[in-house]
Amino acid sequence: MRMQLLHLYWNEFRKRQKKTSLITFAIAWGALSLLLLMSFGRGLSNAGSVSFKGLGSTMIMLTRGQTSKPYQGLPRARRIHIHMEDLELLKRQIPGIAMISPEANNSHNISYRGKESNRSVNGVYPCFAEMRSQIPAAGGRFINDLDQEKARRVAFIGWNVAKELFGDSNPVGKEIRIEQTPFTVIGVMKKKQQSSMYQGPDSETVYIPFSTFCQIDFQRFLDRIHIRPADPRDALFMENQVRRVLGRKYRFADDDANAVNFWNTIRDYETGAKIFKGIEIFLSIIGALTLLIGAVGVTNLMYAVVKERTREIGIKMALGARRRHIVMQFFLETFAIFFKGTLWGTLIAFNIVSLVNLVPIGYEDFGIKAYLLRPIFSLDILIVFLVVLCVLVFVSGIFPALRASRQNPIEALRYE
Amino acid sequence: MIEFRNISKVYKMGEVEFVALKGVFITVQKGDFISIMGPSGSGKSTLMNIIGCLDTPSEGSYYLEGKNVSGLTFDQLSTIRNRKVGFVFQNFNLLPYASAYENIELPMLFNGKKGAERKARVDELLEMVGLAPWAKHRPTEMSGGQQQRVAIARALAMDPPIILADEPTGNLDSKSGHEIMEIFSQLWKGGRTILMVTHDPAIAAFSKSTIRLLDGAVQANGIPN
Repeated sequence: MRMQLLHLYWNEFRKRQKKTSLITFAIAWGALSLLLLMSFGRGLSNAGSVSFKGLGSTMIMLTRGQTSKPYQGLPRARRIHIHMEDLELLKRQIPGIAMISPEANNSHNISYRGKESNRSVNGVYPCFAEMRSQIPAAGGRFINDLDQEKARRVAFIGWNVAKELFGDSNPVGKEIRIEQTPFTVIGVMKKKQQSSMYQGPDSETVYIPFSTFCQIDFQRFLDRIHIRPADPRDALFMENQVRRVLGRKYRFADDDANAVNFWNTIRDYETGAKIFKGIEIFLSIIGALTLLIGAVGVTNLMYAVVKERTREIGIKMALGARRRHIVMQFFLETFAIFFKGTLWGTLIAFNIVSLVNLVPIGYEDFGIKAYLLRPIFSLDILIVFLVVLCVLVFVSGIFPALRASRQNPIEALRYE
Repeated sequence: MIEFRNISKVYKMGEVEFVALKGVFITVQKGDFISIMGPSGSGKSTLMNIIGCLDTPSEGSYYLEGKNVSGLTFDQLSTIRNRKVGFVFQNFNLLPYASAYENIELPMLFNGKKGAERKARVDELLEMVGLAPWAKHRPTEMSGGQQQRVAIARALAMDPPIILADEPTGNLDSKSGHEIMEIFSQLWKGGRTILMVTHDPAIAAFSKSTIRLLDGAVQANGIPN
């Protein structure tokens, strides 16, 4: 294709540009919709994933339950509690447990220089932090093995506890009291987004070594056992293993789903991720359909253009234009309309995404804002967009162009 | 140069068949200047279209420069239209959005000629038809005679051996018409083969001989003027 021929086509296209402005707008609108819906869908998905990880996305949480069927002559509705020794039992009998931590909690009075607060105090193992996505803010640390071993009086506190007791000053190294027992604050939890929780958000909680907890608070039962399988794919298998091992000890049926309860965040996370992905795809399809309407409009316009210029096509054929010369001209016009429209649509979409991302979101008001105000404009979105666009350009351009090229030259020349 | 062997053309319009040409034999030698005359509907335009490879015959064979043209593909016929034939139409058929210069350049663009070569040729042709100052003007800014001269220049762009003119003076006043015919005469003297459809005997008088058509058949051939 000669540059000069392109120049001629461009001139002919330019003369009619006013007629194409409306359809260019439709394409811009379609491109804008598709890009925005994809970006916001991705943002939604991402927010969902982030907040899921706030609880921890690779663990199984075990809590007490009640039997739902009789077993070996024992009645139904027996309470099954979990005990500290079960931890060792599970570790011994089930291979593939990467981490395991007990959790026991109780509400206690917390005070610092006259400021008081009633908070949940939880006794846990050091590995709890990693399973439950608890990261110490700079300058602090979580409970370590030595703390557990020596039953040290140290506390890792949620950022809201820190704020209430210490205001803006740094709590690390300060001494708080849990009831009347002094504890040294060793770390403050780094802020995180958390959408699912039990007994309140982590930001409101105080964590101390499990051994220390046993010294200040007597409890016969554990509240929870957290388990992380070495391979997340074993999540469901491990759940069944735990139920079987405990079933033998406490005598309940292997298939009694309520004897002990599981919160399997691995499975939840996978399900949640699928739902969000589904929403994302659904939104993208809506966007693509919007662009499709624009594309149908372009096809329509191009058919009209071909008709309007039938005679010019005839003239060109008489002068020796081949079919590809004619096809190319109309195809390029379609391309030009799309190009102009999508350029505008993309620019506007990009700016909207950037602007919306400037809206501040606090960690406290995690909710609708975090889902709606953090659209993501990523490379793979752009690639999907371009693929959809190429398909639409081709499909909407090729048919009018082929019709143009298949005209009978004589009839085209006679066309008034 | 041009040889029709028993050429027929039948148009089908639904159930109705219309015979435009029936069993036409004609031979045109290189350097002929022939008028094609006859009442409307006698097949003049169809004859011209088949010669110009815009249309294909329903039956018979057409030899152009000794080669059988029947059965060639659209693109092969395009190449013939581009290199062998120059068309001049009654209503000029210039591209409205293009300048005189661009209109003349067009056949060379389809052929892929180089920029410098094109420019030289367009300038030469504009000079020849006396429109050098009008190069940048659009057809709508020109008179009928000027437009037809641009059309002739365009027909000559690829330096084709054959010029086909369909009522070239039909839309022009007699003075402009004569100017156009003067150009055709010059081209003929330059060695080109010219076929021209006309119903005006005064215009036909410029040509060397006449073919008369009636109801799709050759009524008389080679009437000298």
